[in-house]
Amino acid sequence: MKTVIKTTNLEKVYNSSVAPVKAVNQVNLEFKEGEFTAIVGPSGSGKTTFLNLIGGLDKPTRGNVIIDDTDISSMKESQLFDFRLKHIGFVFQAYNLIPVLTAVENVSFVMLLQNRPKEEMEKRAKEMLEQVGLSDKINVRPNKLSGGQQQRVAVARALASKPDFVLADEPTANLDTESAFNLLDIMSKLNKEENITLIFSTHDQRVIDRARRVITLVDGAVSKDEYFDK
Amino acid sequence: MLKPIHMKMLVTLAWRNLWRKKRRTFITASSVMFATILAITLMSMVNGMKDQMVDSIVQNTTGHLQIQDVMYNDEPTMDHALGYEQEVKAALEKYSADIDYIVPRIHGFCLASKGMSTRGVKVMGVEAQKEDQMNSLSSRLIKGSMFEPRDDFAVIGKGVAEQLDLSLGDTIVLLGRGFQGMTAAGKFKIGGVLAFPLPEQNNTLVYLPLDIAQGFFAAPQRLTNLIIMTKQKDLVPELAEKLNAELDDEWYRVLTWEELMPDKVAAFEARDAQVSVFAWILYIVAGFGIFGTVITMMFERVREFGILLSIGLKRIRLSIICILETIFVSFIGVLAGIALGFPIMFWLYKHPIPMADDLGDVMIDMGIEPVMSFSISPDIFISQAINIFFIALIVGMYPVYKVFRLDMGSSSRK
Repeated sequence: MKTVIKTTNLEKVYNSSVAPVKAVNQVNLEFKEGEFTAIVGPSGSGKTTFLNLIGGLDKPTRGNVIIDDTDISSMKESQLFDFRLKHIGFVFQAYNLIPVLTAVENVSFVMLLQNRPKEEMEKRAKEMLEQVGLSDKINVRPNKLSGGQQQRVAVARALASKPDFVLADEPTANLDTESAFNLLDIMSKLNKEENITLIFSTHDQRVIDRARRVITLVDGAVSKDEYFDK
Repeated sequence: MLKPIHMKMLVTLAWRNLWRKKRRTFITASSVMFATILAITLMSMVNGMKDQMVDSIVQNTTGHLQIQDVMYNDEPTMDHALGYEQEVKAALEKYSADIDYIVPRIHGFCLASKGMSTRGVKVMGVEAQKEDQMNSLSSRLIKGSMFEPRDDFAVIGKGVAEQLDLSLGDTIVLLGRGFQGMTAAGKFKIGGVLAFPLPEQNNTLVYLPLDIAQGFFAAPQRLTNLIIMTKQKDLVPELAEKLNAELDDEWYRVLTWEELMPDKVAAFEARDAQVSVFAWILYIVAGFGIFGTVITMMFERVREFGILLSIGLKRIRLSIICILETIFVSFIGVLAGIALGFPIMFWLYKHPIPMADDLGDVMIDMGIEPVMSFSISPDIFISQAINIFFIALIVGMYPVYKVFRLDMGSSSRK
């Protein structure tokens, strides 16, 4: 299987007023195409920082992040914007939809930034909303949707642009059990059917139970990297 | 480069963002609206009064335009009196559609005496009906009558009458320099006395019928100034240009009232500058209203901005959204201000505020209608929109600065 992401000696050091803090410490990992990975660990273990680094939202202090044979750690910000747009999908804990856009507009938004043709964009957005079970909510704004529905729109948005991989930062943390299972079903299905690489940071056992690979971070370093047959 | 579809998206986002917090948008737009109404009222009143004063000055002194001998403005002597010839008449005929009426004048400085008393006066040769049309000269008569065609008496200022002890029927002796070194000398009966608001006019003016004055100055068919009153004030610069092009510049020169009275123009400009300071104080107040909203909006939406940047919206495009929001709310306020302000100004334009008591009397004496006039010139309303747009752009720089400093990783988790 093709390697989608590779990190080598990845480090992120925050300079606090008391002492420097290594949020990510010498992480060497590879993520293959189609993997469903959960990154787990206690609060402050560096899960979100690690996602930010491999998502190009933050710059490493040392080491490299190589995506699709491209080292993004040395890219300029303007290059990173284009790179993220083309290769990476994001799902955030707090849904983070654009409140003034309808569901279909939210899903189309990234494709619009990618300069996709209007017809293709609309077709794909409606397809994705259908796949996440929201075909009857396409013209509804986020404030009229439940938390679970909003997160499903966020998943549709992340996947609509056909990224190489999706980074999901605790996507089920704010959801009730039913909504969380529903969302995980959808993501698992898309992972299998469209071979999309999913990387979750999570505390949630329901997510961990679905993942075929679980990486445990402690104090910014990898303490366990386990594969499961599911 | 932004494609139309991207621009449409940015405009849509900015417009919809505006209505997420309707009350806040309403309050901000209201502050802009009130500032706009106040600024419009101020500018309308100042411009209205200025127009009124300009009209008064133009009617009582220079007229809108003057045709003069090419040397006269620099060296105003009788030797540079203008030949009112066919070329001038043809040019005036050609542009008669723009001309309301013309007023011929010849004037020069002389010594006036009665008995042993002598003083300097300004002898004005005029056509009385034309002067009436221009500045209602005969309404200033306090004794006697204004001359008619074929009359040959003089009408003098009240001060001249007092200083030379002249009454109706007395004779005034005038002695001066005529055209090309000729002696100008004559005796004239006093047929009327005029009262002017300014002592300078009262104490110096002696009016003679135009043809009599031309004979007195030995300058038949000559004028020192040929005054042109245009049908509309805004035709003045264009008509001056056209007449200057039409007339031989070796002999004639066409001057606007602004060129004839540079000191008055400078005074108006100085006053405009003072008024602008007050207007900008109002704009700055409105600017702070918008700025307060922008600061609140930035604090509330840090996370949202982080997300937009995370999912691929470039900082420059996010900045455009913020600037558009500022511009939109400003323009809503400006448009509301103009929509409310215009009917008020229109009403005041149609119904000027009467000036009572001393101020009204002073205005009457100055030949100005005793009312506070308002202007509804489109410039006043357009300039509000431009100035508020300028303020909105300045205020809009704050979110641009913040957006470019925003940390994507941390802001999207806030």
